[in-house]
Amino acid sequence: MMPSIDREERRKKRAPVIGFIVTAALLVSVLLPASWQWLPIAVGTSAAIAVGVTIDPPVGRRRRSGIRERRRGRSSGLSAHSRDDAGEAVDVAAHRWRTLAIVSRLMPRQPGRRWLAEAESLLSEIPAFQRAAAIRSYLRSAPHLIVMMWAREVQRRARLGPRRPG
Amino acid sequence: MALRLTVQVQLIVQALLRDPAREMYGLELSEETGLQPGTAYPILLRLEHEGWVSSRWEDIDPRAEKRPARRYYRLTAGGAVQASAALSGARRPKGTALRRLAEGGGTA
Repeated sequence: MMPSIDREERRKKRAPVIGFIVTAALLVSVLLPASWQWLPIAVGTSAAIAVGVTIDPPVGRRRRSGIRERRRGRSSGLSAHSRDDAGEAVDVAAHRWRTLAIVSRLMPRQPGRRWLAEAESLLSEIPAFQRAAAIRSYLRSAPHLIVMMWAREVQRRARLGPRRPG
Repeated sequence: MALRLTVQVQLIVQALLRDPAREMYGLELSEETGLQPGTAYPILLRLEHEGWVSSRWEDIDPRAEKRPARRYYRLTAGGAVQASAALSGARRPKGTALRRLAEGGGTA
């Protein structure tokens, strides 16, 4: 089943967000001294590209990854292309699920993967009517977790010491 | 850094202490404590970092079981002792705090 919000609608929703990011970056860069003007432009451009790419990845890529997950038997039926039931509530859950996947990328790699895998495992067993609340709770605790995980990661890397080339 | 025994942490630790030898997975824990899974996860992670809890992935074939593997948590031997000592020294969560937690889905 295709998501109820089609590509065109998504594009329309995305355009003002990207516009806002670019305008804000330009305004901030005007206010900064010349030597720092590159910073908001670089950050703004990266953010605009990230919004453009992550909100609506190419259909082919999404479809391929959905098929791959189904073949591996890992999919919980929550992602947009592998869910097995219908209805708007499921669309919302699938949309939030994508948000969870994006949020997991803000965490260090291993802990982020584990967080997402645990969320997927748990959400696949939770009754459908409780799923949205559970995803919301994951998203609410994510900022705290991101900080906690990165703090631990920094500590771990500091313990390991600097990387040697070769 | 010492672990802060908030009401939510106490609920999780109490649930694990009921049968320290038993392994519990996230959904079981959140059902037993009334906490939302997103609230329980950071607590379990902190308990694991402190060495109170150990965890492992369930060893199953997800295709055969038709569900992803669960992550099981249990108290370590040292963790059970520390948790009992910490709980006996901690203030017991009041009924009002527990009610608020239940109403708010564990986010109080």
